[in-house]
Formats: sequence, C-alpha cells, structure tokens
Amino acid sequence: MGNMAFGLNITLIGMGLVFALLALLWLVLTLIGKIDNLPFFKGGEEGDAAEDEPAESYVVTERRSDEIDPDVMAAITVAIAAHVAMRRRQGAPSMRMTVPGSQIFASRWVAAGRTRQTGGWTPKG
Amino acid sequence: MHDDLVKLREMREKALQGGGPERIEQQHAKGKLTARERLALLLDQGSFQELGALATHNVTDFGLDDQQFPGDGVVTGFGRINGRRVAVFAQDFTVLGGSFGYVQSNKICRVQDLALESGIPLIGLNDSGGARIQEGVGSLAAYGEVFVRNVLASGVIPQISVIMGPCAGGAVYSPALTDFVIMVKDTSFMFLTGPEVIKTVTGREVGVQELGGAEMHSTKSGVVHRVAENEQDAIEQVKVLLSYLPQNNHDDPPQIAPYDAADRMDDELNTLIPRDDRMAYDVRDVISHVFDRDSFLEIHPGWATNAVVGYARLDGFAVGVVANQPMHLAGAIDIDASDKISRFTRICDAYNIPIITFVDTPGFLPGVEQEFDGIIRHGAKILYGYSAATVPKISVVLRKAMGGAYVAMSSKQLRCDLNFAWPSAQIAVMGAEGAVKVLRGKEIKKADDPKAMEKEFIDQYREKFFNPYRAADVGQIDEVIEPRETRPRLIRALEVLRTKVQLNPSRKHGLLPS
Repeated sequence: MGNMAFGLNITLIGMGLVFALLALLWLVLTLIGKIDNLPFFKGGEEGDAAEDEPAESYVVTERRSDEIDPDVMAAITVAIAAHVAMRRRQGAPSMRMTVPGSQIFASRWVAAGRTRQTGGWTPKG
Repeated sequence: MHDDLVKLREMREKALQGGGPERIEQQHAKGKLTARERLALLLDQGSFQELGALATHNVTDFGLDDQQFPGDGVVTGFGRINGRRVAVFAQDFTVLGGSFGYVQSNKICRVQDLALESGIPLIGLNDSGGARIQEGVGSLAAYGEVFVRNVLASGVIPQISVIMGPCAGGAVYSPALTDFVIMVKDTSFMFLTGPEVIKTVTGREVGVQELGGAEMHSTKSGVVHRVAENEQDAIEQVKVLLSYLPQNNHDDPPQIAPYDAADRMDDELNTLIPRDDRMAYDVRDVISHVFDRDSFLEIHPGWATNAVVGYARLDGFAVGVVANQPMHLAGAIDIDASDKISRFTRICDAYNIPIITFVDTPGFLPGVEQEFDGIIRHGAKILYGYSAATVPKISVVLRKAMGGAYVAMSSKQLRCDLNFAWPSAQIAVMGAEGAVKVLRGKEIKKADDPKAMEKEFIDQYREKFFNPYRAADVGQIDEVIEPRETRPRLIRALEVLRTKVQLNPSRKHGLLPS
C-alpha cells in the first residue's frame, strides 16, 4: 500500500512539473508574440505610417513599364498550352519521336515479316 | 522577257483564278472556301507542288468549247502535312460546278498512281456537282478509273476523303471506297439519287440535308466517320487523324514523345464499374483513364453507339481501341455495331496499328428484325476481322462477356495475344436468369416455392460463373488485374508485341461475310 502511494505521489509530482513547465512555455511564447506586434518593434516610420492608414491593409506593387500585364500573361500561357496540345494531337514534327515513313522497331524481323505478310505485291500489280 | 514566259505566266495566273472572281465570291457567300484556299490550310506553307494546272478539256458539244478553264475543276499535286509527304486533290466548284470529266479523272488518277507508288497517304477534298453530262459515257468511265485506283490503294496507303460540298450519283463511291470520310456540316451532302428522283420514283418528299446531310450519314448510314463544324475544322480533323496513321502498310504510325507517365495508375478505375451489374457506365471514362491524356480520337462517334471505336496513344504509340458501350443497348452487339467493329479492326490491321479491346457485352442483340436483317452474317464479320488480324491484339474484360459475343470480342481463340480481365468480369455462356431456366427449369416448376428456388439457383450460378477466375483457370484469361493497373500492363505488353509477326495462309483474298 505504501509503495503504491509513493508511486502515485511521484507520478503526480512528475506530471505536475511537466504541465507547469508547458504552461510557462505557452505564457512566454504568447508574451513574445504580443511584444513583437507592438508598433515600437515594427520600425518607427512604418509604425507611424501604419497608424494613419485605414484598418484594412493591402499590398500595392507597382508594375514596371516593360512588364506584361498579368491578364495578358495568363492569356498567352493558355494559348501556348492550347497550341502545344494541338500540335501534339496533329503529331507535329516537334512532338514526334520518329520520322514519318519509319518502322519504329526497324529490325530485319519486322521488315522481312511485313514483306511476307503482304505477299508478292508490287506497285504496278 | 520572252513571249513564251509571258504566256506561261498568264496561263498560270488564269489557273489560279479558278472559275473567276464572281464564282469565287459566290462560293464564299455559301460559307465555302475555294479549292486552293482549302489546300493552303491543309498543307504546310510553301510545300504544295501542283500537277496538271494547265490541263483543259477538248469537248466542243453543248457550248463547252467556250468554257475552257486551266486546271479543269480540280487542283492536284503533292505537299506536306506537318512535314509528312502526302498526295492531294481538291475539286474546284467554281469551275463548271466542279463537274467530273475525263480531264479531272486523268489528273486525280495521276496523283493516285504516284501516291501508291511512293507509298504516301492520299487526301481528297470533294466538292463537285457530279458527272460532266456533256462528255456522255466518257465521264462515267472517268469515275471508273478513279474507283479502281481507290480499290488498289485500299489497305496500302491511307486514303482520306473530305466532303465539302455536293457529292452525288456515282461520285459517292470514290469516298466510300476510301478509308475515312469526314463531312462538313450544313454545306455538304452525299446521296446516290437526289430528292427530285426520289419524289418521282417513290412519291416521298425529302430535303437535301435530311437525305444526305452530315447528320444523317454520321448517325444512320454510317458512311461518314467524323463530322466537322466547318471547313477549317474538317481540315484540322484530317491532320489529327493522319497523326495516327502510317505512310503506308509497311511503316508504323509516328510515335509522339511520351507526355503521360507510363506507370500512371488511376485509382478511379477501381471504382468505375458499378457494383450492381444492371447499372450502366460510360466506357469512354475507362478509355480516358487508361490511354495518354486527351489522345482518344473517336471514329463513328454518332453511329452504332453501342460500340466505341477510335484511335488513342499509349506511351506515345498509336493504338486502335474497340469497346462495348454499356450506356447504349447495355453494350449488346447489333448489326451496325458489328459492321463498325469489323471495319475498324481491318483498318488497324492494314496499317500496323495494335488493337486494344475492352469487353462488356451481354451478347448479340436478340430480336426478330436483327435476325431478319442478317445479324448472323454481320456478326460473323467481327470474328473474321479479329481472326484475320495479325497486329498485336490485347483484350481486357471489364464486366460481361457472354456467349458468342465473348468469343467474337478478341477472345484467345481468335489469336488474341494477351487477355486480361478485371475482378468485376463475368465470363459465362449466358446470363444467370436464362441459364437457370435451361438447367433447372423442371425442378423450379415442381418446387413448392418456384420463385425462391429460382433465386437460389440464380445465386448459385452467379457465384460459380460470374467471375473471371474460372476463365483464368482454363487459360482463357492470362491475368486478372486491378483496374488501375491496366495502363502500365498494356504498355508493357505492347513493348513485347511491337515486333510481332504472324502470317496468314497465302491466297488471293479471304471472303469476308457481307
């Protein structure tokens, strides 16, 4: 009975200690997060400017004059993809692995076999 | 400049103008292009080499001597489509309505002969009012010259016909003898006898499009393989179709650089077949998951819809696909489906294209009309097509494979190289309900509760035969595979079979049931 009480006691102390430390860690991390969000730590000028801005903040990126409009870029991308798909469907030269008029496995086996399959045919009959 | 050069240039310029600006304008007003505009779209830029541009007729009857046009109603020659050499002819409706006479025949026959001897595909753009009546029987003989060349080239070089205007009377037989017919919606028609003749002979009134339009031929007669929305679309379809075909019967179709992983396994395939075998599914979903992405080109999409045939790619290689379609007639094979499948298998065999068959059919379609119309001889064509084909053949039984249709659809006995089956396969002589009536009919009638006994026997039959394992036991199925494994399995199988050579007995020709 005494041993059991001792065991429970040790378990209680051990678990208590672990949970206490975890709670402490949570507190410290929350505090760091709060401090980090203070305007003072965001930089003086930016912090001041932020106070004058409306609540909703948004990012404005200026486009360089030589940059393509994102919508145009999207349209070009779609057009290229459609073009590639069409070229593939047509078996265009850039999409082909073999030249037209080739036997893909140009072995003597296949060449002789096809000649035998087609008999003694000649173009002039 | 020498006078002879000036004269030549003038004649060439006149040839380029066809029937003249007025006729060209009329052609455009109908939403149609001229023969030269069509060829410009079809062929690679600057690749066209014309033959017979200055040919003219010497007929003087019925005022024809006043109507001489260099080229005489057809533009013929050679060119390239995506770098591939092809022979072409385009009938010019602006010249005497594209009427077919001996000059036109001579020009077309010339490119037919050269195409056959060079082993390159022939593409014909048809837009002709018919035979040139002023030439009499000569124009009929002219048709015959073209027909015989169509037949001699059949199965040797791919022949593609595009119907872009009228095609009537004897003229229809040239496209019908070619491998593929593409027809432009609304602006073209094909028939042997026109509405006027039909009204005179039978008294029935029928419109031109109703009688011979693209809609009719692509859904009822099966003459047309693909319908195009407009002429540009038709030409685009020729280019796509050609990408699946070789230059001739000794070559292979071009291989496209693989763009879809060979070992891709789509888990969706494992759940695609409904558990209830009375539920339909679209076999095109199976095809789209198994073959290279967006590579399936369906042939005859609107005709005999209980079967699906077409070309696709596996790891960049062209293959022919045949499948039963459970969405229509539960995938049962009728007369039209028999013709569709047999014709397709023979084209694949002629052009060295492996055939992949997906089987899900309860059998040949029962019915008095089917028997009267000859389902026996039409169905026999499927057996003939598969048996005679020497290209690599692989079948996958998806679900039902019953009775004679099981044998017909690329079974092992018809020299199929590899037979796979999904676990959902049901390979049996007949359906459970019918089989139980034959096997246990008397017992069921005598039973106290016939319905209960019938159900019990049906369950026993289904348990015993409605699976692929009995067929695998006796070697009819080489391997039962997970549906998602189908793609890599087919690719690996074709790697081995690509050099397959199989010979048929020497003969003049077989006798296809017809």
